[in-house]
Amino acid sequence: MSTRAQALAEAAQPIHPPPTSFWRQYVFSIDHKVIAKQFLWAGLLFLLLGGTLAMLIRWQWAFPYRPVPVLGQLFLRENGGVIGPATYQQIFTTHGLIMIFFAVTPVLIGCFGNFLIPLMIGARDMAFPKLNMYSFWTFLLSQLLVLGSFLADLGSAGAGWTTYPPLSTNVGTPGLGQTLVVAAIFVTGVSSTMGAINYVTTVIRMRAPGMGYMRLPLTMWGLWLTAILNALFVPVLGSAALLLLLDRNFGTQFFVAGASAVRGGGDPILFQHLFWIFGHPEVYILILPAWGILGDVIPFFARKPHHWYKGTVWAMVIVTVLSAMVYGHHMFMTGMSPLLGEGFMLFTLLISAPSMLIVLNWVMTLWRASIRFDTPMLFALATVFVFGVGGLTGLFLADISMDLYLHDTMFVVGHFHFTMAAASFIAAMTGVYFWFPKIFGKKLDERLGKAHFWFTFIGITLVFAGQLVAGYAGQQRRLFDPFQYTFIQGLRGLNRWTSFFAFALFAGQFIFVWNFFKTLFGKTVRAGENPWQVTTLEWTATGSPPPFHNFDRIPEVVRGPHEFSNPEVRRLTGRDFAGQSEVLPGSGEPALAAARG
Amino acid sequence: MLGTNLERSPAADLPASEVPELRRYRLRRSEDEITSYVGMIIFLGSWAMMFAALFFAYAVVRVRAPMWPPPDQPALPILIPGLNTVVIAGSSAAVAVAVRAHALGRQRRAAIGLGLGAAFGALFLALQAVVWVGLWRAGLLPTGGPYASVFYALTAFHALHVVVGLVALGALAIRAQPPRGTTRSAVRLWGMFWHFVGVVWVALYVAVYLL
Amino acid sequence: MTAAPVPEHGYGLPHDVSVDGFRVDELIHFTLAAITVIFAVVAAAMIWSFVKHRGGPALYSHGTRGSIALVVGAVAVVLFGVDGNLFVHTLADMHRYFWNFKRAEASPGAVRIEVNAHQWSWDARYPGADGRFGTQDDVVTTDDIRVPVGVPVILQLASTDVIHSLYLPNLRVKQDAVPGTITRLTFQAKTPGEYEIACAQHCGPNHYKMRAVLTVLAADAFREWLAAAAEDARRAYDPEDKEAQWGWEWRRFEP
Repeated sequence: MSTRAQALAEAAQPIHPPPTSFWRQYVFSIDHKVIAKQFLWAGLLFLLLGGTLAMLIRWQWAFPYRPVPVLGQLFLRENGGVIGPATYQQIFTTHGLIMIFFAVTPVLIGCFGNFLIPLMIGARDMAFPKLNMYSFWTFLLSQLLVLGSFLADLGSAGAGWTTYPPLSTNVGTPGLGQTLVVAAIFVTGVSSTMGAINYVTTVIRMRAPGMGYMRLPLTMWGLWLTAILNALFVPVLGSAALLLLLDRNFGTQFFVAGASAVRGGGDPILFQHLFWIFGHPEVYILILPAWGILGDVIPFFARKPHHWYKGTVWAMVIVTVLSAMVYGHHMFMTGMSPLLGEGFMLFTLLISAPSMLIVLNWVMTLWRASIRFDTPMLFALATVFVFGVGGLTGLFLADISMDLYLHDTMFVVGHFHFTMAAASFIAAMTGVYFWFPKIFGKKLDERLGKAHFWFTFIGITLVFAGQLVAGYAGQQRRLFDPFQYTFIQGLRGLNRWTSFFAFALFAGQFIFVWNFFKTLFGKTVRAGENPWQVTTLEWTATGSPPPFHNFDRIPEVVRGPHEFSNPEVRRLTGRDFAGQSEVLPGSGEPALAAARG
Repeated sequence: MLGTNLERSPAADLPASEVPELRRYRLRRSEDEITSYVGMIIFLGSWAMMFAALFFAYAVVRVRAPMWPPPDQPALPILIPGLNTVVIAGSSAAVAVAVRAHALGRQRRAAIGLGLGAAFGALFLALQAVVWVGLWRAGLLPTGGPYASVFYALTAFHALHVVVGLVALGALAIRAQPPRGTTRSAVRLWGMFWHFVGVVWVALYVAVYLL
Repeated sequence: MTAAPVPEHGYGLPHDVSVDGFRVDELIHFTLAAITVIFAVVAAAMIWSFVKHRGGPALYSHGTRGSIALVVGAVAVVLFGVDGNLFVHTLADMHRYFWNFKRAEASPGAVRIEVNAHQWSWDARYPGADGRFGTQDDVVTTDDIRVPVGVPVILQLASTDVIHSLYLPNLRVKQDAVPGTITRLTFQAKTPGEYEIACAQHCGPNHYKMRAVLTVLAADAFREWLAAAAEDARRAYDPEDKEAQWGWEWRRFEP
């Protein structure tokens, strides 16, 4: 029995037979679930690489001029295992770039976006499956360009992840490495744009019957808004990268000024405008999916509907709109006109309102809930905590007069690590633990998961709090040897302790690696269709893992995503949740009416 | 699902021009076509942002410069690029005719329109090359400071898009000839791309050559 | 006469030696207190939920009018009480003090210095006795900026290669030096002594070594030093040495 709407949806998305050849099935696959796994692997590998680079930075700040154990012997042998200033600038540059573009982005957006969007909205695949495949292979090419840059003469990129010219032109960083990395940024931008077009179109066009925008799981809202931001602003970064490549390789003068400029030269600040027009939305590109995941996982494990779902949705929309109008706060110290600076300050302060509203809605969701402290929930709650710290410390930096002192210090580093690194990373871990049974059909080990959680949560908090304290005391970022400065010498112990916490944090991640492979290849029982007892379509309308065509029958959605602890549902089914497409015994009308009220 | 839906209307042989309902029926879009149409709009929006960023760069560089063009560098010609504006407009018109003809099932007419569009595109590139060679000979090299930078970067980047469109239109023109045929979506979407490239050119002509 | 830069005690803000630095510090302390309260309240509510309602039956509610009003009210309180307060104070501070170059330029004893940043040092230029830049008695120093106590100091910054950022932790100010443009910075020191000048913007492998010393002198000591240095500069002037003549005519920003 299927309704008319379902029949129409079935006709628009007929079931295709799964591919049979190895290559089509696992390598050049157009199946969004396989592409998601490809992104996951690519992202996790680079996460390890970026994390290793972070450990090198921490080593340098704990023990400057001392040979790095193990890694130094492997990669820095000609220098006796010691990190030199030139190597150091490449380490922090590539650490930032890899983490943002090649680790967190593929996991949060590439993996979860691809895997979840069709499943959560009830579609058989993405709108453009082939484009999806191209998006992954373009992304892989960009990763290879980054890896290749390490082999170049003079090493990899060294101008910081923000690649400010003229330092990032031939004036400051000659050599192929920087060129390859800028090219990689361009290529990964192309990949992101392709993915974004696909995501936006899919959500607009492929939602299952009954899945109105106000019934979308919040994860979908996060990923969709992120995709919109990506589609609009990544091309701006593309332009900036393109012009920078022209400056580097064809002698143009967009960003070169000063002694090496011809006829007055271009404008270095122009690059900063282009970069941050992209770069500030990018912050939200990474946090919106995280908010979305939390917006679902918190009610799921609190067994309670999300508090004021519509408020959270509109807050996310407002953040998305505002995110394009605040970028100037990265440039307060460039000599921008006071009026412009004050405008940017105003919008930056305003953006704290919707962000705070989202957090308070989570708190209200937890209030009088029946919380299940499974690993995904622990990670989700930790995300609220670290995002709170990250968001609140942003108040200092939104403000021009405090920025006079704090700009470009470790305080900035601590702030954006709490938001982009801690919140996005822990939210990504929430997602991994939560959707692992759906992606691979098995549940990750809870005991190892909890051990991993405590290492990560405590470790991340201590490490980034250490950065905040160092910055508060005035330590600038990106110093090869901070202790050249007399006023920083008192922070030697702080930096060293922060490094020890960082090493522990890094070591703790191997619990996750162990858990991951043990579950994947070990003897673990199948997780079953809906191990967490939650409501959204991927759990309630298909198996784990889902078949190639996702749904045997395209579901018809009858209620919102967080229908928990509804007494009427309990009376009819004996359960405390009702799936989004579940038809309740009897008419189910009273339950629907209760859900609406 | 680009290019998976080959529309074959049931009454393909009836002259649609005489039956308005039939014409409307043939022009209506399938679900897949709408999806790819939406995707194309988002793509073009995305790409428009990229060009907008380039124009922004142009504006900033120009506002900063004390003299434009710098006294020792040649001014840009207006006539040939102006002619090119006409050429690209003609090309867009030909493609528009082709899209409509193709939607109504007139394959040969569509193929001619697409071919004509591609030919105009080639003419555009040839004229653009004349402009480049002329300026190069007059001593304007890409390394000659910001004025030369923005001129070469913007025109070359646009020309690259013309090349892409040109190749696609050419390929479609060949494929659209009966009996092979091509999908309605492919023609319509490449048509949209081509109009987009045309609109960017007009903006570029006004901003870079005229102002 | 003066002491070399000394290490700071503890982990707080470096000691403040400027006339207006306390404005920054006060805002920082206010913000710190405000976010601590916000954080504590939110964390307490969450922990209370964890402990108190653990295992109990969940309340079935998508949000009532009251609970939504509570959320909106809390956001409004923070927005107006904290953000609004910050905005108003910062606007006033920036206009009256930190970006008020009009007042600094008009002040009779103001000291003008041109700073040229390059990889990896700070060159400073004083106008000498004639009060004009680009003349024979210009005093030029490297990684050594001296200013008198108690009068506004105006720096105009330029860079020849990449972007640098002049950062005075003890005076709570900072300003980028950007190739191709001239930016400016004003401050007023209140305590004689030697303090550090740091580069805050990554500017290449030796960014960490781009350290200089700011010496705050008593007014007479500064005058004496400048006069002697200007006399030396005039004697040592070499018109052939174009490299040394990087100064520019003092830029007037206000009409």
